[in-house]
Amino acid sequence: MVNVFFALTEEFNSDGVIALLASGQAVVFYRIALMSKDGDWVLKETESACRRVRSVLASHGARYRPGAPLDPRWLAGGWSSHFEFFDDKKRRIRCDFVSRPPRIPAADLGTMFSAARGEGALRVVDPERLVLLKQTQRAKDYPVIGELARLLPPQSERELTTDPDRILELAREPGGDSARESVRLARLGRSREEVVAALAGEVDRLQRADRARMQRYEGAAQSYLAEFRATVPIEAPLEDAHAVAVRLAERSLPTTLEGGAS
Amino acid sequence: MQMLSEDDLDLREMTDEELERAWDLWFDLAQSTNDADPPYSHGVLTGLER
Repeated sequence: MVNVFFALTEEFNSDGVIALLASGQAVVFYRIALMSKDGDWVLKETESACRRVRSVLASHGARYRPGAPLDPRWLAGGWSSHFEFFDDKKRRIRCDFVSRPPRIPAADLGTMFSAARGEGALRVVDPERLVLLKQTQRAKDYPVIGELARLLPPQSERELTTDPDRILELAREPGGDSARESVRLARLGRSREEVVAALAGEVDRLQRADRARMQRYEGAAQSYLAEFRATVPIEAPLEDAHAVAVRLAERSLPTTLEGGAS
Repeated sequence: MQMLSEDDLDLREMTDEELERAWDLWFDLAQSTNDADPPYSHGVLTGLER
């Protein structure tokens, strides 16, 4: 398999599904766009899953990048863990992990794994939840959401699409209330301009909410990250670096953050 | 409204092998911007500058 991120997913899951490929590489999987150089995964929140991933990454010569230890205690608080290695073509491979992806309720995490797409060990976040993951502060994610939403049943597409023409079209179909102002306006027969303005407001609110969430983590991580850069031996074997990162995190990285995990 | 380019959407017409080759070439080219990339593209540290 040429795509190293698809291949890594299969390695992580070779003894049972513990990791779902997400974000940009999932967008590649769904053939929407080639848009991310990095891989990120939603990981099962268990010590064995973390150990398995660290083992696979160590076999590739990966190193920790500053971030939370890949340990359920911090993953459960919404933190992310970050690694990097170079493949046999000297290409940089960055790998990022969470177990509490943003905008996915904790009670839905089990369903997220059972709803995953793909075959065999290549398991990928399903399109509807992938749309929620892509509701970030980055403008480039919103055209992708519009395309991903086309993979959904009409009522779900109506609630998630960022394409104003699809909102206008889907709003004509009967059935189901909508939480969206843009859909409500379209159903009232208001102008396209008003629907587009409402959609822009919805996207702006999503972007600001994502930014606010990130800022809580960034603020809580500042001193930890500075100490991480100074003390974690990134040239050491991954498990040795992991042990140092855990000791450091136990001192200075909170496992829970108010309003953080979803 | 088409929100992505024809080049992007052509991915759907590719075979698995063509998609893998296209991704591999794209990933080779994308290495040229490594030094300019932000430190994090996923996770809760995405907003950090370094």
